[in-house]
Amino acid sequence: MSRIYDCPPSLDEFGVIDFCKNGYLLFPGVVSEEINERTIEFIEKNPGPVDYEPSHILDEDWFVKNVICQPDAAGAVRCLLGRDFGLPILMSSHRVECPQPAQEWHRDGGSKWGPQVNYLQVFYYPQETPAEMGPTELLPGSHHLFSLSTLMGHYGSIAGAKYAECPAGSIVITAYNIWHRRGKSTGSGVRHNLKYNYWRTTTPGPSWKHNPDFDITDYDWRITEAPTFRQQFRDSFDAAEMFLWLSGRHDKFKVMGGQGWPMPGNRLERQYGIPEGIE
Amino acid sequence: MKNASIREQVERCIEEFRRGELTEEGLQGVLDSIDRRRERRGRKRRQDLLYLQTRSTSIDYPVLGMRILENGKLWDGPRDPEDWPYKTVLEAVNDGWRIIKFPEMALLLDESRSFGLACEFILERMREV
Repeated sequence: MSRIYDCPPSLDEFGVIDFCKNGYLLFPGVVSEEINERTIEFIEKNPGPVDYEPSHILDEDWFVKNVICQPDAAGAVRCLLGRDFGLPILMSSHRVECPQPAQEWHRDGGSKWGPQVNYLQVFYYPQETPAEMGPTELLPGSHHLFSLSTLMGHYGSIAGAKYAECPAGSIVITAYNIWHRRGKSTGSGVRHNLKYNYWRTTTPGPSWKHNPDFDITDYDWRITEAPTFRQQFRDSFDAAEMFLWLSGRHDKFKVMGGQGWPMPGNRLERQYGIPEGIE
Repeated sequence: MKNASIREQVERCIEEFRRGELTEEGLQGVLDSIDRRRERRGRKRRQDLLYLQTRSTSIDYPVLGMRILENGKLWDGPRDPEDWPYKTVLEAVNDGWRIIKFPEMALLLDESRSFGLACEFILERMREV
C-alpha cells in the first residue's frame, strides 16, 4: 500500500489563510455513519499490541479511503502540505471514560516554533462529541505563541479557547504545535478520538485553488477567533509570514513596520511596505 | 475590651493604675487576650492562589486567562470569560487578593519572540483551615 497520496485541493487562499491565522480547520460530519461505527468496532475488537496506538487500522483500505483520504479533509491537507503528501504511519487512540477533568494545556512533544508547515496533526471523532464529552479544546492562533508544555501546567480557562464540539464523523486539522488539551467532560460513557499526522514530501509552493478575489496586498490578516495575547498586529505578521512560507516565497517576507504591510486598516491608497515579488 | 488591641488594653491599664483603679482582674484580661491571639496564630492556614493572565502589565487590563487554587482545590474557572470571578487584576486586589508575582518584564522585552500567555500575575489569599 502506497502511503504517498495526492488529490484535488479543497481550499482556496482564504481557507489556507484561515489556517495560517487560527492554526486549525474543522470539517464537521464528513465521514459517514457507517464508517464511524465500523471504526469504533474495529478499534474495540482489534486493540493490537499497543492499545493506545492502533496503527494497524491504517492498513485497512476502507478506513484509509473514507477517513484518511476523505476528500474535504485530505483536499485541505493537500493545500497545506503540497502534492504527493505522506499519509499517516502512526495512529493514536485518545479513548477516555467520561467524566474526566480537563487535561493540562500543552503542545505535543516535538513541536517546533516558526512559519514552516511540514506536517499536520489531525483528529477524527467517530462519534458525536458535544461539550459534555470533553472534545479537544484548542486555542486559536496559539501555533504562533512560543511556550513550552512544561510551562503551561498552570493555565486554566483562556479567553477565545474553542471546544471542537462536533457531530460524528468530524475531522479537525491542526498545526502540530497548536496549544490544546482534552476538554473537561461531565457526561458519561466512552469518548473516542483518533489522532494522526500527514507529512510534506515536496517543497512549498501554491497548492490550493486560486480565488480571483484574493489580493495579497489588500487583506486583513488579523486573527478573528481569539483575542491576541501579544503586541498589536503581531498576529497579522505571523499569519502573513506563514502564508508566504506556504507559497514558497518566504524569502520575500519583510515587515517594513509602522502602518506598512501587512498591518490591517481602511486605506485610501495602496499600502506601503508591500514586499517585492509577493503578488 | 476583648476586641481592643493589646496596646489599647495596656494603655487602659496604665490609666486605671494612675487613677488607682487597676485590678488583678484587669491585668489578667490582658494576659488572656495575648493567649487568645497566640492560639489564633497557631492555627493551620492554607494558601489560595489565583493565576491571571493579561495583555499588559497594567492591573486594570482585561483578564485573558485564569486558574484558581481555592481551599486546596484547583479550578479552571467558568468556560465563558464573561462568568469569570474577576475581569481585571484590580478587581481581585479589591476583593482581598494580594499580588505575589508581577509579570517578569526582563523576559518580555524581546519583540522577536512571544512567551506564553503574555503578562502573568499570581495572587494569594490565606484562609484558616
